[in-house]
Amino acid sequence: MSTRLKPLPTAAVAACLIGAAVFASLANGYYVFIIATMALTAIVGIGLNVLVGLTGQVSFGHVGFYAIGAYTVAILTTAAKLPFALALLLAALFSGLVGALLALPALRVRGPYLAMITIAFGFIVENITVEWRSLTGGQNGIMGIPSPVAFGEDFGERGVALLAIGLVAVLLYAFWHLSASNWGKAMRGVKDSELAAESIGLNPVAVKTLAFALSAFCAGIAGGLFAPLSGFVTPSTFTFSQSLLFVLVVVIGGAGTVTGPLVGAAVVVLLPEVLSGLAEYRLLFFGALLLLVLWIAPEGIVGETSRLLRRKRPGRFANTDAADSLQLTPAAPLPVTVIDLAIAFGGINAVSAASFGAEPGKITSLIGPNGAGKTTVLNMLGGFYQPDAGAIRLGEREIAGKPAYVIARAGVARTYQTSQLFGSMSVRDNLAIARCKGRLGTKLDDADAAAEQLAAFVGYRGDLTRRTADLPHVDRRLIEIARALATRPGVLMLDEPAAGLSGEDKQQLAQLLRRIADKGITLILVEHDMSLVMGISDHVVVIDAGVCIAAGLPREVQQDPAVKRAYLGEDAGRPTAHRAEGAATGGNLFEVAGLHAGYGAEPVLKGIDLRVRQNEMVAVLGANGAGKSSLMRALAGLHRPVQGGINLAGKDLQGLPAHKVVALGVVLVPEGRQVFPELSVSDNIRLGAFLRRDAQEQDIEAMFERFPKLRDRRHQRAGLLSGGEQQMLAVARGLMSRPRLLLLDEPSLGLAPAVINDLFAVLDRLRGEKVTILLVDQMAGLALALADRAYVIESGTIVASGTAAEIAADGALHRAYLGTQADTAH
Amino acid sequence: MLVTSALISGLGLGSMYGLLALGFYITYSVSNTVNFSQGSSMMLGAVFAYAFTVTMGWPLALAVVASLALCAAYGIVVEWVAIRPFARRGSNAWLMATVAIGIVADNLVLFTFGKEPRGFPMPGLLSGSIKVFGVGVSPLQIAIPIAGLAMAGLLHAFSRRTRLGKALLAVVQNRDAASLMGINVGFAISAAFAVSTVFAGAAGILIAPLFNVHSDMGTLFGLKAFAVAILGGITSAWGVMIAGLLFGVIEALVTALLGSSYTQIVTFSLVIVALAIRPNGLFGRAEVKKV
Amino acid sequence: MIADKIPFAARRSFLALSAALGLALALPAQAADTIKIGLVTALSGQSARAGEAITRGLTIAIDELNAGGGVLGRKFELVRRDDEATPAKGVIAARELIFKEKVAVLFGGLDTPVSMAIVPIVNAEKMPFMGPWAAGTGVTHNKGNPNFVFRVSAVDEIVDKAILQYAQKTFNAKKPGMILINNPWGESNEKGLTAALAAKGMKAVGIEKFENNDVDVVPQLTRLKEAGADSLFMVGNVGPSSQVVKSLDRMGWKVPIVSHWGPAGGRFTELAGPSAKNVHFIQTYSFFGKQTPKGDKMLTMLKAKYPDIKGPGDVTPAVGVANAYDAMHLAAMAIQKAGSTDGDAIRQGFYKIDAYDGLIKKYVKPFSPGNHDAINENDYVWTHFVDNQILPVAMK
Repeated sequence: MSTRLKPLPTAAVAACLIGAAVFASLANGYYVFIIATMALTAIVGIGLNVLVGLTGQVSFGHVGFYAIGAYTVAILTTAAKLPFALALLLAALFSGLVGALLALPALRVRGPYLAMITIAFGFIVENITVEWRSLTGGQNGIMGIPSPVAFGEDFGERGVALLAIGLVAVLLYAFWHLSASNWGKAMRGVKDSELAAESIGLNPVAVKTLAFALSAFCAGIAGGLFAPLSGFVTPSTFTFSQSLLFVLVVVIGGAGTVTGPLVGAAVVVLLPEVLSGLAEYRLLFFGALLLLVLWIAPEGIVGETSRLLRRKRPGRFANTDAADSLQLTPAAPLPVTVIDLAIAFGGINAVSAASFGAEPGKITSLIGPNGAGKTTVLNMLGGFYQPDAGAIRLGEREIAGKPAYVIARAGVARTYQTSQLFGSMSVRDNLAIARCKGRLGTKLDDADAAAEQLAAFVGYRGDLTRRTADLPHVDRRLIEIARALATRPGVLMLDEPAAGLSGEDKQQLAQLLRRIADKGITLILVEHDMSLVMGISDHVVVIDAGVCIAAGLPREVQQDPAVKRAYLGEDAGRPTAHRAEGAATGGNLFEVAGLHAGYGAEPVLKGIDLRVRQNEMVAVLGANGAGKSSLMRALAGLHRPVQGGINLAGKDLQGLPAHKVVALGVVLVPEGRQVFPELSVSDNIRLGAFLRRDAQEQDIEAMFERFPKLRDRRHQRAGLLSGGEQQMLAVARGLMSRPRLLLLDEPSLGLAPAVINDLFAVLDRLRGEKVTILLVDQMAGLALALADRAYVIESGTIVASGTAAEIAADGALHRAYLGTQADTAH
Repeated sequence: MLVTSALISGLGLGSMYGLLALGFYITYSVSNTVNFSQGSSMMLGAVFAYAFTVTMGWPLALAVVASLALCAAYGIVVEWVAIRPFARRGSNAWLMATVAIGIVADNLVLFTFGKEPRGFPMPGLLSGSIKVFGVGVSPLQIAIPIAGLAMAGLLHAFSRRTRLGKALLAVVQNRDAASLMGINVGFAISAAFAVSTVFAGAAGILIAPLFNVHSDMGTLFGLKAFAVAILGGITSAWGVMIAGLLFGVIEALVTALLGSSYTQIVTFSLVIVALAIRPNGLFGRAEVKKV
Repeated sequence: MIADKIPFAARRSFLALSAALGLALALPAQAADTIKIGLVTALSGQSARAGEAITRGLTIAIDELNAGGGVLGRKFELVRRDDEATPAKGVIAARELIFKEKVAVLFGGLDTPVSMAIVPIVNAEKMPFMGPWAAGTGVTHNKGNPNFVFRVSAVDEIVDKAILQYAQKTFNAKKPGMILINNPWGESNEKGLTAALAAKGMKAVGIEKFENNDVDVVPQLTRLKEAGADSLFMVGNVGPSSQVVKSLDRMGWKVPIVSHWGPAGGRFTELAGPSAKNVHFIQTYSFFGKQTPKGDKMLTMLKAKYPDIKGPGDVTPAVGVANAYDAMHLAAMAIQKAGSTDGDAIRQGFYKIDAYDGLIKKYVKPFSPGNHDAINENDYVWTHFVDNQILPVAMK
């Protein structure tokens, strides 16, 4: 959103409006009325666009506000004999007030629930206008509403039309201005990511309430103009279907675009007029054409057009020297003290008794295996979860349980595992809105300079006017950090900032984090890349299963045996009977060549080559975020499209969706088990054989032989099983289809060591039974103990491959996992 | 007597709302989308059944089966035409698209079936009036809640006992994992829409003898059923059915005790209040906020 | 994947649509020197049938007139617009017909609020407006000076008086209850009935409303029963009215029902079942029973023109057809008398009509500056269904 009006569109809109005004002054009574109706519809649309386009809420009850405006003017100008201008103002204000009131229940709900509340509101207004006869005239409404008189002149319908066109111009400008203002950015922010909005100090309730009130205000104005234009108000004018048409105005025009409602209003008002000759067939054709327009332009006419016409504008780039003048040192140092913090979800303790401290100017890292509760701790610190027990002190202030935006305003900023940038907004706007820290009224006129400085500081070299949704992954990470810094925080919490970054990028990130800490900011880091963590941390806290198991200097922590156990498992290199037999032989069963895949513009897999022979067990190892799970999803058909070859015994799987890949015999046991929690254990197993027509009870019986614990629980809901049992179930479910190749994604994730041993015993037995397996696991030691061969993957490429023994001896693996050469296995 | 008769009326209507609302529940669980023209599906059920029994003179059982089959086909068309093209692109325009297809369906029926409301003959078995607690009711009014609950039970059995049903359940609970079982998720979504419109169609047929058959008969029903689905918490099948009965009974009680002027104001206000207190509906589960 | 085929299907349906559209838009342009008669009424939704009835009445009359060479040497042409039963749409449609289509006479539809919303426009634009249906008193009794609104239909206020009178005379009603459709028509009659009762020092024991789509009216009726109603005044279209009758059946409450003309709007006996015959309702015309030669001729023409009409039972709602037919002939006579299609001349032309031997009755001086309603209390007939026929009730 540029801060200046773009000349060409502005001129086009001005020409349209002036043209409409001239036409309205000359044309006959029919066309004047049509133009006026279009203008009124556009006014409602502009208001609704604040709600739908900017804030991402929806309302199917705006006819209620329109009716409130119309009835208020009707009553005030007939019964109370107020002048029209005053009545219109009061009507708009009253409607806005009702809008703010409706926001109260509406803000607690989302999606279809919100839709329902607004629908109910519309119906209530309609019924009140029917029933409150003394005021509203009941079903037959109020007739004979005088046309506005000003300066002794009767306005007439032409006057109302011209007034409405003038108001459209004013409101369009106001919308554009709002959209570019801090409030508008805050609304977009809330729409893109309510989480992130809160974490930069925005109060979503205030923002959404304002949006509701503004859109109701606009609908009130339009209704207030409708009353004198038509000369009557009746309940049957303000029906649910009218609400649908209002939403249609925004949808067809293009939600969030400035001129969308104008185009939408033109379509919604003119299309029925063009079709009027069809008499009784009009609605039929209207419905069909509507469907057609939606097919052609689901993002709206203006939205789709501007997408097609979007030209490459000269961008704005940060000056590398700008960073020098950046003020980042917090006003007062903010140490963080966490005491006995605990939270449980559904009876399971996610974090129990976590205690640690973080000092200003220091980097404190929270590490631990996946699922240990690190992010949960961050969420409690940031106010997104309310801890069940314990204390969080920010300096001297207790902040546990406070709302996220309050904590943010107190000086705590954060980033997220999956970046939560405001994707529809430019880099500059992301930074600008964060600088307000929730005080949206403050005018920050050096927005460009400040954005440049922040961008330069974090090392972003790209275009500041670019939409952040279009940024490459690295830049998204950087901008998210810059946005957090823009709030001038005393505490900065980073959740896996290095995930998905290349080695070089990680180096630069490390330097950046150091520079941030040097400014006196308390930096709390959650990260899986151990070389990064060990390289820059001043203090490391290790969390496992929700408990702090160690804390100290990086060196101390690395030597701690409990930490090693938690990370690597103990048994790397343990020889197994089956491998000793040298079972893995046979031809190539499965081959992957040059596999590329990504999310949007961001490549995750960058040319993976691997192969699996018949009866072989192959492990893919690598740190978190290296692309292991993406690889598994791509192989199983869950992630499409992918480029490159995936070949199973001569059949190409690259273009097939998951259910067809399964039919060919490649079955994934997904990360995190993903059993069907509401179904019984035996139903889960049966679903595994969904494609097999020959599945018998004895197949299920065979699974129970293999996993005796499941037999005891066969009638229980799978969701009630323990993690280990769920994993067994997931494996059993996968085996039921008699796969030619079984893909196992992180089977040991979040399991207790004893359970992991059981699991690997099962896997060991499977390879003894000559099941071909491709395994991804964090527990490199265990995986290598079982596998015949292994690949090491880093940043979406294979960096090493070889027999299990070769890989176990290779330093690359240890670097990837623990950031050191320290040999933990032998 | 006022209360008894209101209760009986309310339960009958409420189970209709419940059946339609179950349709919302099914498609929302499977695909996170709903068919906003569910009322039209209900109307189609009644119109088809009328055409087969009265116009073409088929036996009732055959007519019902054929009507429901056509309703299922309509559901698949809705999914193909108004849902899939948009959901695939992550667009919310399916919302308006289902409204549009409802308009088309209503008007096509208007011009083919006719503009006059028609009376659906009461099956002989259910004609007449019986006394329940001193209140005269049609046997069908008693049969409707039973049939409604039976349909809900059938849905339950279908989802637990049949291969397709379990596949649907699997898709509901975990779309990715379901496709890893070899379940074609796209097909499952189509099936969900078919089941949803069959429920609506069944509601239409059930209520037809008590009501009039015309192209506009479903509009208000569809809307109230949406309110019911939301009120029950659209993620809970039994919640939706119970909310339907509740909504029907409250509606009838308000009419009987306060007068018809207040019915819609009170019921819709209650919906708002209920959602303000329980943002995920009376029986819905809160969605876990993941960061 | 089927979804992949959609663009093709879309393209094809687009072509079909554009073709249909082009055809529809091209039609009005063909006949240049005709006298255009506008009609704004509900043509879709719940009231589509009523709109069609008016259309049929007008079409038969226009065919007749055109066969006789039209008036002023010009033929008539009917231009219809759907108001979707909402005043806002009706006002736009009326403006289009007045300003763009330049009709000579504008006909209204069945919804009183739509007509009421159009009245100020026609008076301001000097456009003769003829109401063949909407019975709201205010439609003709408006503030226009001069008043351009005429009507060949019932007037609620008079109907309401007649309902009370009939109920008292026939059923000895002392404690009537009202069961009214919850729309403007119902409300307008609530006022009229209340006023009629008040004029006789009476009061309804209860006033209940029901919705167009109510399946079960038992709760409302039970309230009336508990209040001690000895007769019911019913206002509602044919569908909703039948719901009242069916609900009464279930309750086992046998109470005399005196109704506005709603039940005549369709297959009331099919909808309401055997108790339909107990409802006594008012009519301006019935195609059943012994017809005048005019009535026979009309029925023959209707059967010839519309294949779905096989007998008098298929002419529904009969009032719409009959009123519109007579209204069209009266309008043609007014244009004839005016000698031009000038609005004010036509208005005065209406006053100059001496006599017209119509379908509903023999009109003598139907309109005068003080009376814009051609049908008065002497023209109503009380009827009920006997089998599938609407027959006059034998007066006691």
